[in-house]
Amino acid sequence: MKQRTFSTTLALFLFFFNLGIFIISVTIFKDTISRAEERSLGEHYFITSALIKDFHAVESRGIAIEGSFSSLLQPYSYLSGDKKTGLAFFKNNQLVYSSQDTSMLQNNLLKSSKDGIRVSTVRKVEKKTYVIVSGKLPVPYDSYALVYIYDISEAISSWSNLKNMLFLAGFLLSVLLSFGLLIILNQIFKPLKQISQTSKNIAKGAYETRLPIYGHDELSEMARSFNHMAEEIQHQMAELIDTADKKQQFIDNFAHEIRTPLTAIYGYAEYMQKALLSEDDRLSALNYIMSESRRLQTISFQLLELANLQNNLITCEEQKISRLFEMVRQTLYSKLAEKNINIEFSSEIETIWGDACLLESLLINLIDNAIKACGKGGHIFVCGANEAGKKTISIRDNGKGMTPEVLSQIMEPFYRGEKSRNRSTGGAGLGLAICKQIALHHGAELSFTSFPCNGTTAKITFTT
Amino acid sequence: MTSILIVEDEVAINELVKRNLQLVGYHCTSVFDGKTAISEMQRQSYDLIVLDIMLPGLDGFEVIKHANETPTIFLTAKNNLPDRIKGFSMGADDYLTKPFEMLELLARVEAVLRRTQKNRNYFEVGDVKIDFNSHQVYLNGQLVECTPKEYELLEVLVNNRNIALSRERLLDLVWGYDFERDSRTIDVHIQKLRKKLGWEDVIKTIYKLGYRLEVLQ
Repeated sequence: MKQRTFSTTLALFLFFFNLGIFIISVTIFKDTISRAEERSLGEHYFITSALIKDFHAVESRGIAIEGSFSSLLQPYSYLSGDKKTGLAFFKNNQLVYSSQDTSMLQNNLLKSSKDGIRVSTVRKVEKKTYVIVSGKLPVPYDSYALVYIYDISEAISSWSNLKNMLFLAGFLLSVLLSFGLLIILNQIFKPLKQISQTSKNIAKGAYETRLPIYGHDELSEMARSFNHMAEEIQHQMAELIDTADKKQQFIDNFAHEIRTPLTAIYGYAEYMQKALLSEDDRLSALNYIMSESRRLQTISFQLLELANLQNNLITCEEQKISRLFEMVRQTLYSKLAEKNINIEFSSEIETIWGDACLLESLLINLIDNAIKACGKGGHIFVCGANEAGKKTISIRDNGKGMTPEVLSQIMEPFYRGEKSRNRSTGGAGLGLAICKQIALHHGAELSFTSFPCNGTTAKITFTT
Repeated sequence: MTSILIVEDEVAINELVKRNLQLVGYHCTSVFDGKTAISEMQRQSYDLIVLDIMLPGLDGFEVIKHANETPTIFLTAKNNLPDRIKGFSMGADDYLTKPFEMLELLARVEAVLRRTQKNRNYFEVGDVKIDFNSHQVYLNGQLVECTPKEYELLEVLVNNRNIALSRERLLDLVWGYDFERDSRTIDVHIQKLRKKLGWEDVIKTIYKLGYRLEVLQ
């Protein structure tokens, strides 16, 4: 692109520039010639009229003209002392007088005079250029013809010098122009080069690369939108990486949840098969196998529930809040009593729209989490309310709370705040993922607010 | 006696590893989280640590920093490459992923101990003594002539004592995979060993399975 712009611009410039020089020199040339011709015509006229007077004078004195040509014409030859002009005089096409070396004129001048009119021609003879004006003298001397020769070689050569100068200057200017053009084009194309370099960098993975923005022209506008694009790409890449991380985490966690019980089941079975066992050993190994199988069963049930929730539509009915709370209380009674946790139910709203089983499971899951977060003697408040026309149920505990990082991920399947995924403090990490699905199916939103050591509030906001 | 520290937060698996290692005569201590593991290591020196990565409190990568040259085998559900590499780069001697097989765990423990422990020279039970360096077997102080295959079979049985080994597994371990399968070869060699060492009651035939070298701890 740069090359093409450069060569086209330069070619166009050179063409018009040289054309200009050419036209100027031609004009000057023509001007020179026509001035010389005019001057020659003037001189010729002057000499002719003077000569006629002379002829009259000579004739009146009774002297024949033929004999006195040289004495008559001689003075005119001195009109120009620089030998640039010459005169020739013919009688009936016979040269009778010539002020200069006539040999070179001879063949050129013979046919030069015609009837009555003065003819001016430009002739080039032996590297010299002449303007030749020839014309017959008026009657009664019309057998005579006067030829005026004007040498314009000097004018021509000075024109030729001027022309050469012009072309030389033109050439120098062209060289300067081509350099200037190159510099300007480089300047113009520099942003384009930068853009291509930057996009290469971005393609290579340096997503934080940006273009510098100068001024307010079209290029800076383009740079701005380019930077915007780069920002979007960077943002999306970060999101992709984040998703990939989450996926990896999901796989890791899933693997852990499945492998741990499998390892135990297989391991104890192998142990029972191969080792020499006492009755106690045998029983405890069997116990491990059974409890780990149950754990796998729980996980598979939960996964199935999650999958079912994602695929199936639920049947919604009007549910009485008081009945729902009573069911939940009954289910969790033993757990609450065991940890000596005080739970309070209160509600401003009478009914809620939804599936009884799922709503119960949702509340039980959330309260179960609250119980795990509370120590012995904790408090849990379950509260139904009407906020800005929307029905909400919130579960508030005064337990250990969560950090913002944990809070942001708790609804991912298999996520557990406890990195070691220890069995004694929690399950597979599917509870809240299931809660989220249940909430989604009820057109409700599940949100959490929590601070470490300050308790957690889970809130279900129904939009239906 | 070789002492091994087992750091694993899942009670079932911790117990399983412990029982397996005890079968072949290692002395085992179980701990269930990172902090206890570190204090236990400071309290007593161990010949080997079997370490889980996902632990409550401090994780396995933190624990191994305090291991001070004690040979360590990671035993974990994390089987992706970056974790394995991280494990090895932090000084682990081996890396075993769950679910694992009993014999594999024992073989790896055995291999790491053989690399790191130079003083394990012989095994003695009853009136039989086996010298692992010179590959010689003594009964009541008298040298017993054994063919190389008999000796190898004996060593496998001793290393996996109290564990039943199938004929196929024994073939794999002693003769290698490309040996033409004939389980009667095993029976013949077992008979010879029993006769030579007077181990008719020690090498037990396990019905429908194989053989087990039974040694009381």
